[in-house]
Amino acid sequence: MPISNASFIRSALALLGAGLVILIILAGSSVWLSERTRENAADVLEAQRIRAGTSHLLALLLDAESAQRGFLLTHETAYLEPYRIAVGQVTADLDLLKTMHQGDASQTELVEHLSTVIQEKFAELAHTIALAEAEQRPEALEIVNTDRGRKLTDDAREKLTGLLNRADARLNSDVRAMTSDARFLSFATIAGAILVFLVGSGSLFIVVRHTRDVIAARTEVLTLNETLEERVKERTTDLARANEEIQRFAYIVSHDLRAPLVNIMGFTSELEVGVSTVEQFLEQVGGGEGEAARAAVREDMPEAIGFIRASTKRMDRLINAILRLSREGRRTLAPERINLETLLEQLMANVQHQLSEAGGKIAVVKPIPMLVSDRLALEQIFGNLIDNAVKYLDAGRPGRISISASEQGRLIHFDIADNGRGIAAQDHDRIFDLFRRSGVQDRQGEGIGLAHVRALVRRLGGDISVKSELGAGTTFRVSLPRVFRQTSESVAS
Amino acid sequence: MNSEPQAVTIVMVEDDDGHARLIEKNIRRAGVNNEIIAFSDGTSALEYILGSDGSGEPSARRHLLILLDLNLPDMTGVDILAKVKANRHTRRSPVVILTTTDDQREIQRCYDLGANVYITKPVNYEGFANAIRQLGLFFSVMQIPETD
Repeated sequence: MPISNASFIRSALALLGAGLVILIILAGSSVWLSERTRENAADVLEAQRIRAGTSHLLALLLDAESAQRGFLLTHETAYLEPYRIAVGQVTADLDLLKTMHQGDASQTELVEHLSTVIQEKFAELAHTIALAEAEQRPEALEIVNTDRGRKLTDDAREKLTGLLNRADARLNSDVRAMTSDARFLSFATIAGAILVFLVGSGSLFIVVRHTRDVIAARTEVLTLNETLEERVKERTTDLARANEEIQRFAYIVSHDLRAPLVNIMGFTSELEVGVSTVEQFLEQVGGGEGEAARAAVREDMPEAIGFIRASTKRMDRLINAILRLSREGRRTLAPERINLETLLEQLMANVQHQLSEAGGKIAVVKPIPMLVSDRLALEQIFGNLIDNAVKYLDAGRPGRISISASEQGRLIHFDIADNGRGIAAQDHDRIFDLFRRSGVQDRQGEGIGLAHVRALVRRLGGDISVKSELGAGTTFRVSLPRVFRQTSESVAS
Repeated sequence: MNSEPQAVTIVMVEDDDGHARLIEKNIRRAGVNNEIIAFSDGTSALEYILGSDGSGEPSARRHLLILLDLNLPDMTGVDILAKVKANRHTRRSPVVILTTTDDQREIQRCYDLGANVYITKPVNYEGFANAIRQLGLFFSVMQIPETD
C-alpha cells in the first residue's frame, strides 16, 4: 500500500481544524446561552419583585378598606390599626412600583393612573374615618354609600390585577425562554459531543491506518533488506566462483601451453645436435663444392636455432608468470599481526648494496603503523615496489627512495617515493597490466611485477595508485586495510 | 626360479608423441638399451601392466619401470599411480612421474601415493637432458640381475 505522508498530514490537520472549530462553537454557544440564562434569571427576579410589590399594594389597599368598614361599623379604634400600617407603607410601595416600571413607556401611564386612583382612595378613606372619629358617622356612611370608594377600589384592583397578569406573563415567557435555552444547550452539547466523537474516531481511524501503513512499509523494507543480503551473498559467491574459474583457466592454459613448448625446445636441441653432426661431416669432406651447404650449417641454421631458443625461453618465462599469478591467486592468505618496520628494513637490506654503489639512499619515515595482513603478500608487494624504484633510478643523479605511511580511517596509505626516471602520464594505467612496460626498454623484465603487486594488493582488500612525472620521480601509493578480513574468497574456498 | 637375469622393461605412458620421442631419444643417448613400451593413453597402459582383468598377474614375474605423465586424455597419471601402488604384484615397480606440473601439492600427493621420482619437464634442454641422463643411470642400476 502506498503511503502518502502529505495526504496523511492534510487529513489529520483537517480533522484537527474541524475539532477546533466545533469546540469553539460549543464554547461560544455555552457562553451565549449562559449569558441569556443570566439575563432571563434577572428578568424573572424583576418580574417576581413587580409581582410581589403589586400583590402587597393590593393587600394594603384591601386591608385599609376592610379597616375603614370595620371602624365605621363598630367604631372600635382597634380596627384602624391595619389602615394606619397601610397608610404608612402605601407611598413607598407606589414609589417602588413607579421605579420598577420606569423603563417601560406603555406602563408608566398606567402606573401614574393607578397611583392617582390609590391616592384618591386613601383620601376617601381618610375623609370617612375623620368624619367617623368626629362623631359624624351618618355623613361618613353617606360618603360610603355613594359607591365612589368601591369604584375606586375596583378600579385599583383591576389595574393591579392587570399588572399582576403582566408580571405573570413575563414570568411565563422568561421560564419558557429558559426552558428552550436549556433544551438548546443540551441539544448543542449533544450535537457537539457527537461531532467531537466523529472527529475523534476519524482521527483515530486515520492514525491507525497510517500506523498500519508505516508498519507494513517497515516490514516490506525489512523483507527487502533480508533478501538483499541474500542476493548480495549469492552475487559474492558467483563472483568468487567466476574468479576461481579464471584462476583455474589460467593454470590449465599455461600448463597446456607448456607441453608443446617442451617439444619445440627439445627438438630444437635435437636439430642443434644434427646440425653439428652435419657440420663435422662437411668439414671432414672438405673440397670446393658444398660451400653453400657449409655456410648454411655454420651460420644460418645456428642463427635460426638461436632465435627459436630465445623465443621459447621468453615464452616459458611468460607462462611461468601466468602460472605464478594464478597460483598466488589460489593461495590461502593467512592474516597475522605484522611489524612492517622490520619487514621493510629486511627488504631494504637486499638492495642496500646495489644502491650504495651508485651513491643512492633508501629510508623509512618512522613510525610505520602495525597492521594485520598476509606476510608473504606484503613481502612481495613492497619487495617488487622497492626493486622497481632501485631498477629505474635516473643515472644522472644519486637515487633517493623513501617509504612513509599515513593513516586514514580504516586504511593505511604507504607511499614509496623515488627520484627516478618517472613514468609518462599515458602509461600510468598501462603499467599495472600484465606484460606491459613503460619507457626505454633498457632493463631486464617481463612486465609482470606491477600486475602481480596490484593483484596482491586487491586480494588484501586494498588498492594501488601511481603519481609520477617523467624525469622527476615516481610515487606509488599502496592503500591497505589496517585489519585484513577474509571475505568473498573464504566463501568460495 | 628363472636363472636368466630378468631385464627391466620400461613402460612409458605419455600422450604427447613429441615428448615420448624426446624421452626415448635421451634415454638411448644416455646408454640405456632396455626395451621401451610406449602407451599414449591410460587405459591400454593399465591393461598391459595389470592385465585385462586388473589382477596384476602378468607382472608377477616381470620387472617394470614405469614412466608416467600426469596429463592423459582418459585419466590422470595419479589414478594409474594409485592402482599400480595398490596391486601386490606391481607395487614394488619404481614409478617416475615426468610431467609439466610443478605444483607443490600435486608433487606431495604423488610422493604420498608412492612415486619414486618426480621430475618436472623442463623446457631448458640442458636440464631436461641432464634429468634424462640421471634417469638413464638409474635404469642402469636397475639392470643388475636380481637375486630372487
